Amino acid sequence: MTQTNEIALDSIPVAGDEIDTLIGALERNRRTFAWKCGGLGRDDLRRTLGPGTMTLGGLLKHLALVEDEYFTRQLLGAPSLSPPFDAVDFDADPDWEWRTAAEDDPVELVRLWEECVARSRANVAAAYAEDGPEARARTASSGGAPPALRRLMVDLIEEYARHTGHADLIRESIDGLVGEGMS
Amino acid sequence: MTDTTLTPWEPPLAGTDATQILGSLDRMRWTFRWKTAGLDHAGLTTRIGASSLSLAGLLKHLAANEDYATTVKLLGEPMDEHWADNGWDDDEDWEITSAPDDTPEQLYATYDEAVARSRARIEAAVAEHGLDMTIAAHDDDGQHANLRRLLCDMVEEYGRHTGHADLLREAVDGLTGEDPPPGWRP
Repeated sequence: MTQTNEIALDSIPVAGDEIDTLIGALERNRRTFAWKCGGLGRDDLRRTLGPGTMTLGGLLKHLALVEDEYFTRQLLGAPSLSPPFDAVDFDADPDWEWRTAAEDDPVELVRLWEECVARSRANVAAAYAEDGPEARARTASSGGAPPALRRLMVDLIEEYARHTGHADLIRESIDGLVGEGMS
Repeated sequence: MTDTTLTPWEPPLAGTDATQILGSLDRMRWTFRWKTAGLDHAGLTTRIGASSLSLAGLLKHLAANEDYATTVKLLGEPMDEHWADNGWDDDEDWEITSAPDDTPEQLYATYDEAVARSRARIEAAVAEHGLDMTIAAHDDDGQHANLRRLLCDMVEEYGRHTGHADLLREAVDGLTGEDPPPGWRP
Protein backbone atom coordinates (compact mmCIF):
# COMPACT_ATOMS: atom_id res chain seq x y z
CA MET A 1 0.00 0.00 0.00
CA THR A 2 1.38 3.41 -0.97
CA GLN A 3 1.79 6.45 1.19
CA THR A 4 -0.96 8.31 -0.67
CA ASN A 5 -3.41 5.51 -0.15
CA GLU A 6 -2.74 5.46 3.57
CA ILE A 7 -3.47 9.16 3.81
CA ALA A 8 -6.67 8.68 1.85
CA LEU A 9 -7.83 5.90 4.14
CA ASP A 10 -6.93 7.98 7.16
CA SER A 11 -9.39 10.67 6.13
CA ILE A 12 -12.13 8.66 7.84
CA PRO A 13 -11.61 8.42 11.57
CA VAL A 14 -11.12 4.86 12.79
CA ALA A 15 -13.34 5.42 15.80
CA GLY A 16 -14.89 8.83 15.27
CA ASP A 17 -18.22 10.36 16.15
CA GLU A 18 -21.08 10.54 13.68
CA ILE A 19 -20.27 13.89 12.07
CA ASP A 20 -16.55 13.27 11.54
CA THR A 21 -17.19 9.75 10.22
CA LEU A 22 -19.88 10.78 7.73
CA ILE A 23 -17.88 13.78 6.47
CA GLY A 24 -14.73 11.62 6.23
CA ALA A 25 -16.57 8.89 4.31
CA LEU A 26 -18.12 11.39 1.90
CA GLU A 27 -14.75 13.05 1.29
CA ARG A 28 -13.08 9.73 0.56
CA ASN A 29 -15.81 8.92 -1.95
CA ARG A 30 -15.46 12.30 -3.64
CA ARG A 31 -11.71 11.86 -3.90
CA THR A 32 -11.94 8.38 -5.41
CA PHE A 33 -14.57 9.55 -7.89
CA ALA A 34 -12.43 12.53 -8.97
CA TRP A 35 -9.45 10.22 -9.42
CA LYS A 36 -11.46 7.87 -11.67
CA CYS A 37 -12.49 10.83 -13.87
CA GLY A 38 -9.17 12.67 -13.78
CA GLY A 39 -6.55 13.35 -16.45
CA LEU A 40 -8.72 12.57 -19.46
CA GLY A 41 -9.52 14.49 -22.63
CA ARG A 42 -12.85 15.37 -24.19
CA ASP A 43 -13.16 12.17 -26.24
CA ASP A 44 -12.43 9.96 -23.24
CA LEU A 45 -15.04 11.74 -21.12
CA ARG A 46 -17.61 10.96 -23.86
CA ARG A 47 -16.90 7.23 -24.03
CA THR A 48 -19.66 4.76 -23.17
CA LEU A 49 -19.38 1.08 -22.20
CA GLY A 50 -21.51 -1.78 -23.50
CA PRO A 51 -25.16 -0.92 -24.13
CA GLY A 52 -25.15 1.85 -21.49
CA THR A 53 -25.23 5.58 -22.29
CA MET A 54 -23.37 6.70 -19.18
CA THR A 55 -20.11 8.65 -19.61
CA LEU A 56 -17.50 9.99 -17.19
CA GLY A 57 -18.33 13.54 -18.33
CA GLY A 58 -21.99 12.88 -17.65
CA LEU A 59 -21.15 11.50 -14.20
CA LEU A 60 -19.18 14.66 -13.32
CA LYS A 61 -22.08 16.91 -14.32
CA HIS A 62 -24.67 14.65 -12.68
CA LEU A 63 -22.83 14.58 -9.34
CA ALA A 64 -22.35 18.37 -9.52
CA LEU A 65 -26.13 18.64 -9.85
CA VAL A 66 -26.77 16.17 -7.02
CA GLU A 67 -24.39 18.09 -4.72
CA ASP A 68 -26.29 21.30 -5.46
CA GLU A 69 -29.74 19.70 -5.05
CA TYR A 70 -28.86 18.07 -1.72
CA PHE A 71 -26.58 20.50 0.06
CA THR A 72 -27.72 23.83 -1.34
CA ARG A 73 -31.34 23.59 -2.47
CA GLN A 74 -32.61 21.08 0.11
CA LEU A 75 -30.26 21.74 3.04
CA LEU A 76 -30.45 25.54 2.88
CA GLY A 77 -33.92 25.70 1.39
CA ALA A 78 -32.59 27.78 -1.50
CA PRO A 79 -35.40 28.96 -3.81
CA SER A 80 -33.75 27.36 -6.82
CA LEU A 81 -30.74 25.37 -7.90
CA SER A 82 -27.49 27.25 -8.49
CA PRO A 83 -26.25 28.25 -11.98
CA PRO A 84 -26.17 26.69 -14.50
CA PHE A 85 -28.85 24.29 -13.24
CA ASP A 86 -31.34 27.04 -12.33
CA ALA A 87 -31.95 27.81 -16.01
CA VAL A 88 -32.83 24.20 -16.92
CA ASP A 89 -36.37 22.82 -17.21
CA PHE A 90 -35.70 19.34 -15.86
CA ASP A 91 -39.34 18.31 -16.34
CA ALA A 92 -38.96 18.84 -20.05
CA ASP A 93 -35.34 17.66 -20.23
CA PRO A 94 -34.76 15.17 -17.39
CA ASP A 95 -31.43 13.96 -18.79
CA TRP A 96 -30.10 17.47 -19.39
CA GLU A 97 -26.83 17.05 -17.49
CA TRP A 98 -26.03 13.71 -19.13
CA ARG A 99 -26.89 14.99 -22.61
CA THR A 100 -25.10 18.34 -22.45
CA ALA A 101 -21.92 17.03 -20.78
CA ALA A 102 -20.84 15.72 -24.18
CA GLU A 103 -20.57 19.32 -25.44
CA ASP A 104 -18.63 20.63 -22.43
CA ASP A 105 -14.92 21.23 -22.10
CA PRO A 106 -13.29 18.77 -19.64
CA VAL A 107 -11.75 21.61 -17.62
CA GLU A 108 -15.16 23.27 -17.29
CA LEU A 109 -16.81 20.01 -16.22
CA VAL A 110 -14.30 19.46 -13.44
CA ARG A 111 -14.53 23.11 -12.39
CA LEU A 112 -18.33 22.93 -12.15
CA TRP A 113 -18.12 19.80 -10.00
CA GLU A 114 -15.47 21.34 -7.74
CA GLU A 115 -17.50 24.53 -7.27
CA CYS A 116 -20.56 22.54 -6.25
CA VAL A 117 -18.47 20.41 -3.86
CA ALA A 118 -16.92 23.51 -2.27
CA ARG A 119 -20.38 25.03 -1.71
CA SER A 120 -21.62 21.72 -0.24
CA ARG A 121 -18.69 21.51 2.17
CA ALA A 122 -19.35 25.00 3.51
CA ASN A 123 -23.11 24.45 3.83
CA VAL A 124 -22.75 21.10 5.60
CA ALA A 125 -20.14 22.47 8.00
CA ALA A 126 -22.39 25.44 8.83
CA ALA A 127 -25.45 23.24 9.39
CA TYR A 128 -23.57 20.88 11.71
CA ALA A 129 -22.00 23.84 13.57
CA GLU A 130 -25.44 25.33 14.18
CA ASP A 131 -27.60 22.28 14.87
CA GLY A 132 -25.23 19.37 15.55
CA PRO A 133 -25.85 15.79 14.41
CA GLU A 134 -29.66 16.24 14.52
CA ALA A 135 -29.55 19.01 11.86
CA ARG A 136 -32.34 18.89 9.29
CA ALA A 137 -32.73 20.17 5.76
CA ARG A 138 -35.01 23.18 5.23
CA THR A 139 -36.74 21.76 2.14
CA ALA A 140 -37.87 18.30 1.09
CA SER A 141 -36.90 16.81 -2.26
CA SER A 142 -40.53 16.95 -3.43
CA GLY A 143 -43.14 17.87 -0.84
CA GLY A 144 -43.47 16.29 2.60
CA ALA A 145 -41.23 16.73 5.61
CA PRO A 146 -37.60 17.79 5.12
CA PRO A 147 -35.06 14.99 5.60
CA ALA A 148 -32.46 14.85 8.33
CA LEU A 149 -28.99 15.99 7.28
CA ARG A 150 -27.75 12.50 8.19
CA ARG A 151 -30.13 11.08 5.59
CA LEU A 152 -28.64 13.40 2.97
CA MET A 153 -25.09 12.51 4.03
CA VAL A 154 -25.64 8.75 3.90
CA ASP A 155 -27.58 9.05 0.62
CA LEU A 156 -24.73 10.97 -0.95
CA ILE A 157 -22.10 8.48 0.25
CA GLU A 158 -24.19 5.76 -1.38
CA GLU A 159 -24.72 7.86 -4.53
CA TYR A 160 -21.00 8.54 -4.95
CA ALA A 161 -20.01 4.94 -4.26
CA ARG A 162 -22.48 3.61 -6.83
CA HIS A 163 -21.46 6.08 -9.51
CA THR A 164 -17.79 5.39 -8.74
CA GLY A 165 -18.64 1.75 -9.47
CA HIS A 166 -19.87 2.87 -12.89
CA ALA A 167 -16.72 4.99 -13.31
CA ASP A 168 -14.55 1.96 -12.37
CA LEU A 169 -15.70 -0.07 -15.37
CA ILE A 170 -15.85 2.83 -17.83
CA ARG A 171 -12.36 4.04 -16.86
CA GLU A 172 -10.89 0.54 -17.06
CA SER A 173 -12.24 0.25 -20.60
CA ILE A 174 -10.63 3.60 -21.59
CA ASP A 175 -7.05 3.19 -20.37
CA GLY A 176 -6.90 0.16 -18.06
CA LEU A 177 -6.76 2.21 -14.84
CA VAL A 178 -8.12 0.11 -11.97
CA GLY A 179 -8.03 0.24 -8.19
CA GLU A 180 -10.14 0.73 -5.13
CA GLY A 181 -8.55 4.02 -4.02
CA MET A 182 -6.04 6.53 -5.28
CA SER A 183 -2.45 5.30 -5.49
CA MET B 1 -47.23 8.95 1.33
CA THR B 2 -44.92 6.16 0.32
CA ASP B 3 -46.22 2.69 1.12
CA THR B 4 -43.23 1.19 2.89
CA THR B 5 -44.70 -2.31 2.72
CA LEU B 6 -44.10 -2.09 -1.03
CA THR B 7 -40.69 -0.45 -0.64
CA PRO B 8 -39.21 -1.93 2.53
CA TRP B 9 -35.75 -0.84 1.35
CA GLU B 10 -36.53 2.88 1.73
CA PRO B 11 -34.35 4.33 4.56
CA PRO B 12 -35.98 6.54 7.22
CA LEU B 13 -36.39 10.22 6.34
CA ALA B 14 -34.92 11.19 9.68
CA GLY B 15 -33.62 8.15 11.53
CA THR B 16 -31.18 7.82 14.36
CA ASP B 17 -27.44 7.55 13.85
CA ALA B 18 -27.87 3.75 13.67
CA THR B 19 -31.16 3.33 11.78
CA GLN B 20 -30.07 5.77 9.07
CA ILE B 21 -26.93 3.92 8.08
CA LEU B 22 -28.49 0.48 8.56
CA GLY B 23 -31.36 1.64 6.34
CA SER B 24 -28.92 2.63 3.63
CA LEU B 25 -27.06 -0.66 3.90
CA ASP B 26 -30.30 -2.59 3.59
CA ARG B 27 -31.40 -0.56 0.57
CA MET B 28 -28.11 -1.49 -1.12
CA ARG B 29 -28.63 -5.17 -0.27
CA TRP B 30 -32.12 -5.14 -1.77
CA THR B 31 -30.94 -3.26 -4.85
CA PHE B 32 -27.91 -5.48 -5.40
CA ARG B 33 -30.07 -8.59 -5.03
CA TRP B 34 -32.57 -7.21 -7.55
CA LYS B 35 -29.79 -6.45 -10.03
CA THR B 36 -28.53 -10.05 -9.83
CA ALA B 37 -31.89 -11.86 -9.64
CA GLY B 38 -33.48 -14.39 -11.97
CA LEU B 39 -30.51 -15.13 -14.23
CA ASP B 40 -29.06 -18.35 -15.58
CA HIS B 41 -25.38 -19.31 -15.57
CA ALA B 42 -24.66 -17.47 -18.83
CA GLY B 43 -26.21 -14.27 -17.52
CA LEU B 44 -24.43 -14.45 -14.19
CA THR B 45 -21.03 -14.98 -15.83
CA THR B 46 -21.34 -12.26 -18.50
CA ARG B 47 -18.46 -9.76 -18.56
CA ILE B 48 -18.15 -6.32 -20.13
CA GLY B 49 -15.31 -4.16 -21.40
CA ALA B 50 -11.91 -4.96 -19.94
CA SER B 51 -13.19 -6.01 -16.50
CA SER B 52 -12.98 -9.53 -15.09
CA LEU B 53 -16.04 -8.94 -12.87
CA SER B 54 -19.33 -10.79 -13.31
CA LEU B 55 -22.58 -10.83 -11.35
CA ALA B 56 -21.64 -14.34 -10.16
CA GLY B 57 -18.32 -13.04 -8.84
CA LEU B 58 -20.02 -10.10 -7.16
CA LEU B 59 -22.60 -12.34 -5.43
CA LYS B 60 -19.91 -14.55 -3.94
CA HIS B 61 -17.62 -11.60 -3.15
CA LEU B 62 -20.28 -9.67 -1.27
CA ALA B 63 -21.39 -12.85 0.52
CA ALA B 64 -17.82 -13.39 1.71
CA ASN B 65 -17.54 -9.71 2.58
CA GLU B 66 -20.73 -9.80 4.67
CA ASP B 67 -19.42 -12.75 6.68
CA TYR B 68 -15.87 -11.40 6.99
CA ALA B 69 -17.02 -7.96 8.14
CA THR B 70 -19.35 -9.32 10.80
CA THR B 71 -17.15 -12.13 12.16
CA VAL B 72 -13.43 -11.34 11.83
CA LYS B 73 -13.75 -7.55 11.79
CA LEU B 74 -16.71 -7.07 14.12
CA LEU B 75 -16.25 -9.85 16.66
CA GLY B 76 -12.71 -11.14 16.21
CA GLU B 77 -14.14 -14.58 15.50
CA PRO B 78 -13.22 -16.90 12.63
CA MET B 79 -15.26 -16.64 9.45
CA ASP B 80 -18.50 -18.57 9.29
CA GLU B 81 -18.06 -22.30 8.65
CA HIS B 82 -19.75 -21.89 5.29
CA TRP B 83 -16.32 -20.75 4.05
CA ALA B 84 -14.29 -23.60 5.63
CA ASP B 85 -13.55 -25.13 2.23
CA ASN B 86 -11.97 -22.23 0.32
CA GLY B 87 -9.08 -21.42 -2.01
CA TRP B 88 -7.83 -18.15 -0.55
CA ASP B 89 -4.37 -19.54 0.24
CA ASP B 90 -3.64 -19.90 -3.48
CA ASP B 91 -5.81 -17.10 -4.88
CA GLU B 92 -6.77 -14.03 -2.89
CA ASP B 93 -9.60 -13.39 -5.36
CA TRP B 94 -10.80 -16.99 -5.04
CA GLU B 95 -14.41 -16.04 -4.30
CA ILE B 96 -14.54 -14.10 -7.57
CA THR B 97 -12.59 -16.52 -9.76
CA SER B 98 -14.37 -19.63 -8.42
CA ALA B 99 -17.89 -18.21 -8.67
CA PRO B 100 -18.49 -19.42 -12.26
CA ASP B 101 -18.02 -23.00 -10.97
CA ASP B 102 -21.11 -22.61 -8.77
CA THR B 103 -24.69 -23.00 -9.97
CA PRO B 104 -27.01 -19.96 -9.89
CA GLU B 105 -28.96 -21.64 -7.06
CA GLN B 106 -25.76 -22.05 -5.02
CA LEU B 107 -24.72 -18.45 -5.63
CA TYR B 108 -28.08 -16.99 -4.63
CA ALA B 109 -28.24 -19.21 -1.52
CA THR B 110 -24.66 -18.36 -0.53
CA TYR B 111 -25.46 -14.65 -0.75
CA ASP B 112 -28.89 -14.77 0.93
CA GLU B 113 -27.63 -16.89 3.82
CA ALA B 114 -24.58 -14.68 4.37
CA VAL B 115 -26.79 -11.57 4.46
CA ALA B 116 -29.14 -13.20 6.99
CA ARG B 117 -26.22 -14.12 9.26
CA SER B 118 -24.64 -10.70 8.88
CA ARG B 119 -27.87 -8.82 9.58
CA ALA B 120 -28.39 -10.81 12.78
CA ARG B 121 -24.84 -10.13 14.01
CA ILE B 122 -25.09 -6.41 13.29
CA GLU B 123 -28.55 -6.07 14.86
CA ALA B 124 -27.32 -7.78 18.02
CA ALA B 125 -24.23 -5.56 18.19
CA VAL B 126 -26.21 -2.36 17.65
CA ALA B 127 -28.85 -3.36 20.20
CA GLU B 128 -26.25 -4.09 22.84
CA HIS B 129 -23.60 -1.44 22.19
CA GLY B 130 -24.71 1.13 19.60
CA LEU B 131 -22.45 2.50 16.88
CA ASP B 132 -19.70 3.54 19.30
CA MET B 133 -18.98 -0.14 19.96
CA THR B 134 -15.27 -0.93 19.79
CA ILE B 135 -14.80 -3.70 17.24
CA ALA B 136 -11.99 -6.20 16.64
CA ALA B 137 -10.65 -4.54 13.48
CA HIS B 138 -7.85 -2.04 14.05
CA ASP B 139 -5.48 0.17 12.11
CA ASP B 140 -1.70 -0.21 11.78
CA ASP B 141 -1.14 1.54 15.10
CA GLY B 142 -3.42 -0.88 16.93
CA GLN B 143 -6.26 1.57 17.39
CA HIS B 144 -9.54 -0.32 17.22
CA ALA B 145 -12.31 0.90 14.94
CA ASN B 146 -15.88 1.45 16.01
CA LEU B 147 -18.99 -0.14 14.51
CA ARG B 148 -19.94 3.17 12.85
CA ARG B 149 -16.79 3.06 10.72
CA LEU B 150 -17.38 -0.58 9.76
CA LEU B 151 -20.92 0.18 8.60
CA CYS B 152 -19.75 3.23 6.61
CA ASP B 153 -17.20 1.04 4.85
CA MET B 154 -19.89 -1.56 4.10
CA VAL B 155 -22.22 1.04 2.55
CA GLU B 156 -19.38 2.26 0.36
CA GLU B 157 -18.37 -1.27 -0.67
CA TYR B 158 -21.99 -2.14 -1.54
CA GLY B 159 -22.56 1.08 -3.43
CA ARG B 160 -19.47 0.52 -5.51
CA HIS B 161 -20.31 -3.07 -6.39
CA THR B 162 -23.94 -2.20 -7.08
CA GLY B 163 -22.57 0.28 -9.62
CA HIS B 164 -20.66 -2.58 -11.22
CA ALA B 165 -23.83 -4.69 -11.13
CA ASP B 166 -25.80 -1.88 -12.83
CA LEU B 167 -23.62 -1.99 -15.94
CA LEU B 168 -23.28 -5.79 -15.95
CA ARG B 169 -27.03 -6.33 -15.69
CA GLU B 170 -27.77 -3.79 -18.41
CA ALA B 171 -25.40 -5.74 -20.67
CA VAL B 172 -27.11 -9.06 -19.85
CA ASP B 173 -30.75 -8.18 -20.53
CA GLY B 174 -31.16 -4.41 -20.62
CA LEU B 175 -32.54 -4.08 -17.08
CA THR B 176 -31.78 -0.62 -15.63
CA GLY B 177 -33.01 1.45 -12.70
CA GLU B 178 -32.01 2.88 -9.35
CA ASP B 179 -34.22 0.91 -6.92
CA PRO B 180 -36.26 -2.29 -7.27
CA PRO B 181 -39.84 -1.77 -8.49
CA PRO B 182 -42.41 -1.43 -5.66
CA GLY B 183 -43.44 -4.84 -4.33
CA TRP B 184 -40.35 -6.62 -5.64
CA ARG B 185 -39.22 -9.72 -3.74
CA PRO B 186 -36.30 -12.06 -4.47
